[in-house]
Amino acid sequence: MRNKYIESFEAAQIAQKQVPEFKAGDTIRLAINIKEGDKSRVQNFEGICIAIRGEGTGKSFIVRKMGANNIGVERIFPLYSESLVSVEVLRRGRVRRAKLFYLRELRGKKARITELRRK
Amino acid sequence: MEYIVEKIGMSRTIGTASTAVTLLKVLDMKVCELNENGSALVAYAKSKKSNKPIEGQQKKYELSKEFNKFVTLNVANSEAGALDMAPLAAAKEVKAQFNTKGRGFTGVMKRWNFAGGPGAHGHRFHRTSGSIGNREWPGKVQKGRKMSGQYGNEKVTVHNDVISFDPESMVLVLKGSVSGANGAMGRIKVVK
Repeated sequence: MRNKYIESFEAAQIAQKQVPEFKAGDTIRLAINIKEGDKSRVQNFEGICIAIRGEGTGKSFIVRKMGANNIGVERIFPLYSESLVSVEVLRRGRVRRAKLFYLRELRGKKARITELRRK
Repeated sequence: MEYIVEKIGMSRTIGTASTAVTLLKVLDMKVCELNENGSALVAYAKSKKSNKPIEGQQKKYELSKEFNKFVTLNVANSEAGALDMAPLAAAKEVKAQFNTKGRGFTGVMKRWNFAGGPGAHGHRFHRTSGSIGNREWPGKVQKGRKMSGQYGNEKVTVHNDVISFDPESMVLVLKGSVSGANGAMGRIKVVK
């Protein structure tokens, strides 16, 4: 249990932020604001969320995708980062654990995650 | 202007320039008696300790049972009563004075960052301090020689920016860290 003063301090900051709810195993698309000198542009990054860490303002998540030449690319973001323009959940995955680091060892068809079926 | 505070813990802000912050709870304080030089005798509550001298002071200054600690602080008050929080609400920078975490009797590697020696392969110089002197001349150990001993539990003052102060919950938020464990009592001094 966290301290009530720390919780209320963090809750006040998070209150205005709107981030969709997602879990490990979900496929998400991030719109990332990239600053280059005085210009800024938005780049998309689409992949599977393999872990969510921390709580409160320090909460962060890891997104993994297979890049060019089958090289895995992972990016870590604070959930309430200013550089995240939007977070979009594309697909809910059916997984049995909270951290999917085993995906790092798998390639091709074995690295698939089945879609969650709602009853 | 000085205040007694309790360290709540640390957190961080969100945003591109995310900063680590320390939350401090400013204790409820009562000014008992003013001195001529702007300082005053101030009472605050810490644990439930009570004895006859404390009871006598409480009777003298008409304090309730929980105010059992007395300290001399610089205050902005012009008369006895509740402590004036106005300087804290306007503060931009403070000095925070806390005791560091006590580590007890500590060896030189932890206390002074000595390198130490190899752990194995027939070595006998693991974590010891090694030679501490020279030869027949100077024939004594130099003053200030770094050796093992008590480490921590000493007063450390740090200078912090104030991020916010909430007069309702009495929570002061400082940029960066202060010494000591969560729940430790310390004092802050308004600089600017």
